[in-house]
Amino acid sequence: MQKINASLIFVGLLLSASILLSCQGSSSERSFDSSKLPRAGQEEIDRLIEAFIFAEDGDTIAVPAGFYNLKTQLILDNKKDVTIKGAGMEATVLSFRELKSGGEGVKLVGQNITIENLSVEDAPGDGIKSQHCDGITFRKVNVTWTNGDKSKNGTYAIYPVQCKNVMIDACIASHSKDAGIYVGQSENIIVKNSLAFGNVAGIEIENSDNAEVFGNTARDNTGGILVFNLPGLPKAEGRGTKIYDNDIISNNHVNFATALNEQPNGNTVTQIPPGSGLILMAAKEVEIFNNRIHQNKTVGIAISNYQITGFPADAPNWSPFTSDIYIHDNDYKRSVQLPDLTKEFGQLIAVYNAHGKGKTQDIIYDGFWDKRLSPDIKTNPMNVCIRETDMSQLHFTLFDLWDGEENIKSSKDYAPFDCQIDIHTNVRAISNR
Amino acid sequence: MNTSLMYSPLATFLIVVACNSSTKNETAGQPVPLGDWEAPDVEISTLNFDQMPFKKLSEYGFFKGKIREFDPGNGVLLYEPVSSLFTDYAFKTRYIWMPEEASATIQDDPEGTFDFPEKTVLVKNFYYPADFRKPSEHIRVIETRIMVKKDGTWQAFPYLWNEEQTDAHYKAVGAEVPVNWVDDQGQEQLLNYIVPNQAQCKSCHNSEEVMVPLGVKAKHLNHDLPGKENQLIAWEVAGYLEGLKPLHEYPAMVSYNDTSSDLELRAKAYLDINCAHCHRAEGPASTSGLFLNYEETDPAKLGVFKTPVAAGFGAGSFTYAIWPGKSDESILTYRMGTNQVGAAMPEIGRGMVHSEGMELIKAWIDAMPEESFQHLSADK
Repeated sequence: MQKINASLIFVGLLLSASILLSCQGSSSERSFDSSKLPRAGQEEIDRLIEAFIFAEDGDTIAVPAGFYNLKTQLILDNKKDVTIKGAGMEATVLSFRELKSGGEGVKLVGQNITIENLSVEDAPGDGIKSQHCDGITFRKVNVTWTNGDKSKNGTYAIYPVQCKNVMIDACIASHSKDAGIYVGQSENIIVKNSLAFGNVAGIEIENSDNAEVFGNTARDNTGGILVFNLPGLPKAEGRGTKIYDNDIISNNHVNFATALNEQPNGNTVTQIPPGSGLILMAAKEVEIFNNRIHQNKTVGIAISNYQITGFPADAPNWSPFTSDIYIHDNDYKRSVQLPDLTKEFGQLIAVYNAHGKGKTQDIIYDGFWDKRLSPDIKTNPMNVCIRETDMSQLHFTLFDLWDGEENIKSSKDYAPFDCQIDIHTNVRAISNR
Repeated sequence: MNTSLMYSPLATFLIVVACNSSTKNETAGQPVPLGDWEAPDVEISTLNFDQMPFKKLSEYGFFKGKIREFDPGNGVLLYEPVSSLFTDYAFKTRYIWMPEEASATIQDDPEGTFDFPEKTVLVKNFYYPADFRKPSEHIRVIETRIMVKKDGTWQAFPYLWNEEQTDAHYKAVGAEVPVNWVDDQGQEQLLNYIVPNQAQCKSCHNSEEVMVPLGVKAKHLNHDLPGKENQLIAWEVAGYLEGLKPLHEYPAMVSYNDTSSDLELRAKAYLDINCAHCHRAEGPASTSGLFLNYEETDPAKLGVFKTPVAAGFGAGSFTYAIWPGKSDESILTYRMGTNQVGAAMPEIGRGMVHSEGMELIKAWIDAMPEESFQHLSADK
């Protein structure tokens, strides 16, 4: 992101104010305490490892109640119709605190795989990764990190990637240093009735097609729900996401993706300002409706383009622009807290919004567009439609960042974006998974 | 289980390793005397492949007599890839066996991938000499991994050696073994060696979710063994290759240890054998879009000015996989240089930093002129 030096003095003042008001939340909330569970013995642990190694098509791997202290990965290798079943989220806990090597605690590959009724704790990298799956269900799975010190937490909690037909239902993901529920480079996806809290990103849909995210609660994350397309990936671009009937509440957690004294690194998530409800970045064909977007101190919905990251924005078969968006019928409640000032994106919103310095915004649009399509953003060339009831009462800001950090402009004018479009998703085929 | 009791010896290992300490550490204990047991002769061709994996390594007949001496059985042929994967400084020996009348062919692809016959067996021993300056003395074998092709697919079986060094036992769940040695500089080294569990084999041996061997491709074998002929020729002589064309028609990687070779080729050879089993279009790390195989020529795919995707804290405080000219600000070298699980690369098989490999990759990155890659950067 471009540096905003002109505002430094003001930012400094606001920063002091914000420290006084202590608006940076943190969370060490735990869903339950696994330390009281009976410890599984080494024989039981070896049996579990072997059950994964020697699993055959059609097997059910039942994991009895207990706390399993695993020092090696659990990997299901390219099997069909396998169910991994714990005795309940609060009864079966797979702990990877002492994992000695491997990028994730549990890895699942195959067709028609289900994992349910268990918890995964403290994996050094990712919690549960599923890759190259056709048909993968996570149901009543809790993935978390129990460290008080969040700098040691892992990257993704629930992590399907390069999968087809993904169901995430009634899961809990918390305290991940990147995204709690992250679906990447996949197609046909439902994320429903789940809870993501205390993560940097609550729920993220990235470079994925045909996704519906509904009935979830994303609270106390840095950013609640994200729809991104990142450049240079085998699945170059995703399109088609509906986000509806979610509670996106108080996502004001400090961004701990990098250490507090460190600048953002190359991971886009490190730039997310605390207090972000939903963020679209280079997203295509997204409908956001009937959500409760409350108490996110910086912005309810941010419509952004990849240019805002400041990273190289060229890649084959990929566009940095967000396009074909329909936002409607959401319920907004602004926070009384000051917007974020720790991230440049937060500073932009806090300082340069069109409603007054230090005002929380309901919807912002960073104002980049593909100039080959139109010379004027007022023609709405990217097809960004916003039709909320009582739009005049909302804090909407359209930025103009084209002329650099010294010349940031903003406008309240939402009229160019008063339109509606049809977004198509179809997840009926996986709704019974 | 009392975790604090288990933590302290491990912590001691890690500290000793991290500090590259020269002080003697007493925790490794006295070595158990070597056993005299000799394996009965086994004719490999008579084995029932359907019953594999066998309980003991000696049952296969790959090695005769005191099998720790690796005296090869009938038809067991030594080979060595030109550049090898770093596995915590372990020494390795590799052998191949095929049934009579069966042989492999080399496919017409950029790597020279082999098409192996049914019942091909690959055997790889991992061991440490007590003193790396005398590499053939006082050897301790840790594990032997075998790969068998049966019913058209490869399967991998890990064997863990006993303390008497008479035999190795099939061990699917993996293990941890404390190992110590004196390195080339005369420094005492100590390590908690991790034997992977059987399912972890496919973390590396994986092409499109099918298990594959890695080091047996023409590009790795199209070179001479020290004091011997080209290995492709040796395989042909042994009857293990047919239809061999003139050698120059096959790809040949350089040795990353050969300082007379081009720096870029050495660096890419290192990345190929250490990273590209995952970091390629067909590998598990295709998710990242970072492709490190020897054949890759697109600088963006090799990581130049490439931002990470799912690296999390593996990115350290850095923005790009490779920042040309700035090895100290590149994620690639950061991940090679950390032992933190979840950030360390490769993800398995390494608990120590390969400092020589690091130096090579750093030299390569530092020699890249940033201006040549400006078109890929954000401020073009």
